[in-house]
Amino acid sequence: MNMSAPEALLVRYGELTLKGANRVDFENVLARNVRLACAPIAPVRLEREHARLLVFPEGRSEAIARRLTQVFGISSISPVWGAPCEPEAIVERARAVLEDALLSIPPGETRTFRVLSRRADKRFPLSSMELDRLVSERIVRDGQPLRIDLDHPELVLGIEVRETRAWIYARRDAGPGGLPVGTLGRAVCLLSGGIDSPVAAWMAMKRGCEVVFVTFHSPPYIGESAKQKVMELVRTLGRWQRSARLYVVPFAPVQEAVRDAGAEAYRTVVYRRMMHRIATRIAELERASALITGESLGQVASQTMENLACIEAAAGLPVLRPLLGFDKQETISRAESIGTYAISNVQEPDCCSLFLPRHPVLRGQVAVCEEIEARLDVGALVAQALAGAEPHNLGWTARGAKVRA
Amino acid sequence: MQPVYLDHAATTPLLASAREALLPFFDSEFGNASSRHPLGARAAAARERAREQVAAALLVEPRQVTFTSGGTEAANLAMLGLARASAARGRHVLVGATEHACVRACAVQLAREGFDVESVPLDSRGDVDLAAFAARVRTDTVLVAQMLVNNETGAIHPVSRMARVARARAPHVRVAVDAVQAFGKLDCALSELHADALFFSAHKIGGPKGAGALALASHTPIEPLLYGGGQEHGLRPGTENVPAIVGFGAAAELAEQQRGELLARFKMLRARLVSRLSSLEGMRLLESPSAQQPSIVALLLRGAPAEVTLHHLAQRGVFVSAGSACQARSRELSPGLKAIGLSDDEARRMLRISMGRTTSEAEVDLAADAIVEVARELERIAS
Repeated sequence: MNMSAPEALLVRYGELTLKGANRVDFENVLARNVRLACAPIAPVRLEREHARLLVFPEGRSEAIARRLTQVFGISSISPVWGAPCEPEAIVERARAVLEDALLSIPPGETRTFRVLSRRADKRFPLSSMELDRLVSERIVRDGQPLRIDLDHPELVLGIEVRETRAWIYARRDAGPGGLPVGTLGRAVCLLSGGIDSPVAAWMAMKRGCEVVFVTFHSPPYIGESAKQKVMELVRTLGRWQRSARLYVVPFAPVQEAVRDAGAEAYRTVVYRRMMHRIATRIAELERASALITGESLGQVASQTMENLACIEAAAGLPVLRPLLGFDKQETISRAESIGTYAISNVQEPDCCSLFLPRHPVLRGQVAVCEEIEARLDVGALVAQALAGAEPHNLGWTARGAKVRA
Repeated sequence: MQPVYLDHAATTPLLASAREALLPFFDSEFGNASSRHPLGARAAAARERAREQVAAALLVEPRQVTFTSGGTEAANLAMLGLARASAARGRHVLVGATEHACVRACAVQLAREGFDVESVPLDSRGDVDLAAFAARVRTDTVLVAQMLVNNETGAIHPVSRMARVARARAPHVRVAVDAVQAFGKLDCALSELHADALFFSAHKIGGPKGAGALALASHTPIEPLLYGGGQEHGLRPGTENVPAIVGFGAAAELAEQQRGELLARFKMLRARLVSRLSSLEGMRLLESPSAQQPSIVALLLRGAPAEVTLHHLAQRGVFVSAGSACQARSRELSPGLKAIGLSDDEARRMLRISMGRTTSEAEVDLAADAIVEVARELERIAS
């Protein structure tokens, strides 16, 4: 009855199976991402078979299971115990796995239940249905808080019969879904300390995009703590990909120059055009093929269709706006669930607060922006910002052990 | 001749790396970690580095770690702080049957405050009886306190299964785990133990005396014991003992790195000691039938009380303990030993040999031979 730790974690990946010819690439990237995500917790050995990944950790299987819920591309994770591919041995193991699972059912409550087996090895003497029935008959006893329900079971005792071994589980944790980070290229995210841009980056990562971060920092108008806050955001987001690189770009000279160029109403739009120019140059450096922003239509007065068009016109790359269809509350909920909200919500003076126009333009025109920029040395300002940019590598290694820049 | 020190469960020598890390903070780096100037900032950075080192060993975020003055304070903070914070949700507390004196004393205090305190039931072999434990957990149980490794016998308790059983039955329960004797030998990752709180002492793993830590699961409500200047997220105010904390961090990092090899070594040394003692008539080894932490060897010797054996061994330069050192000064017999079914006479005859990082094969051999000699001599005197 004394159950040891699970032997392995069975990792399922959903969407990848649909990707035809690219599937092997996707699986390779996923396997690499899994290995890198687990490495700081415990060494793992991986086995791949039949659209499943088996992760064998050297201890700490619970921490590994939790960590895998942060690896995009995974649809679910089950801690599994192995048995020889032989009906009696499977029954014995299944009984122990079930008894362990029953520990978590509160007294007085029952769970609907079924056994569900899959048979990858057709040489196994029983069909899946026969195995279901055999195991169920042998392990379900009177007095257990279980009610058989084949259609809507709350508790599933799963069995996967493979060539060499059968794997048995009673728990299935949801993975984050999405696609493995790195399978859909790289992009540069313009990160402020706010709530939106970290969520935008996360959503791009979820769809397989590896994200490099850029933040604009304006000393001496703003303190070190604002930069620390963005670094903390990047560390948190960095858990969802292999590592996270942040460029901290000095922006005060640009703001001063734009302020001096007049046309107060256009300041915000022109700042953002400058940010996009700088981010585009960083994207070239990082071999990234798009920019990501936390912009959403109409969320603040400046985020009108016209203003977004003015800003995008200055970017040399496509601008992805994963939050475009989100209401503020939807963004906040997502930020809470990924752990960035608490960091974003700490009040720091924002980058542009001193330089904000009193009446920002609502329907900006590209021609006007260009007219204002003609009074600036755009090339020199961009070059100066790039020269002052500091790169920081802020990957997540193990909880507590963060890689320092 | 150098004494053979085999009382490492009481305390173990300071590691060279810990000593080296902490000394500057007694000296030129004397700043108050709350000061905003560079001297203070360096002290704060060193404290945070230590927090990361401890957190990494437990697989938690640094902010989940609170430094205290030692294991006893961390235990008090866990027991009293968690129970008091949950008092509105229930007042039932379950406490391990063989807990350390400080946990038992906290349980007595909780009873005084109106909590309904019961023991975790043991089976006839002295192991936690999981089925009986499950039956004892109630919907108003707010705290389960259970040690991971017993300090007197080295028995490993099924903490993670107990935590899962308790959670299924008590929606507001918090599980607090005394990991003082486990840290550096077993995996103490919070996730693997399914615990809400874990507490530790620095000097049991080669850190200095005067530091301990409490690790909490995220979002665990807890009341402080002290009120003051907001240090340690307000949970443990008071100017931090930076040197001790820094030494603790260094020791924790090394202990975690070497945990696997150390455990393997203890297994080997234990087997060597036990086999060398096997010639001793009437000797009984107290070993947990389910899981044993090998560095603690509990022996029942025929004849003389352990207190007498201990002094005879000390004369021969072998330092061991009779039960737990923390109780050694009280004349009372260990409730933990009674709980696992030892009679008063047997509890009085229990000798604890505890090995540490520095323990060598030669020391184990010397100790075993001395124990055999002393036991035979005392038997002769008695007969």
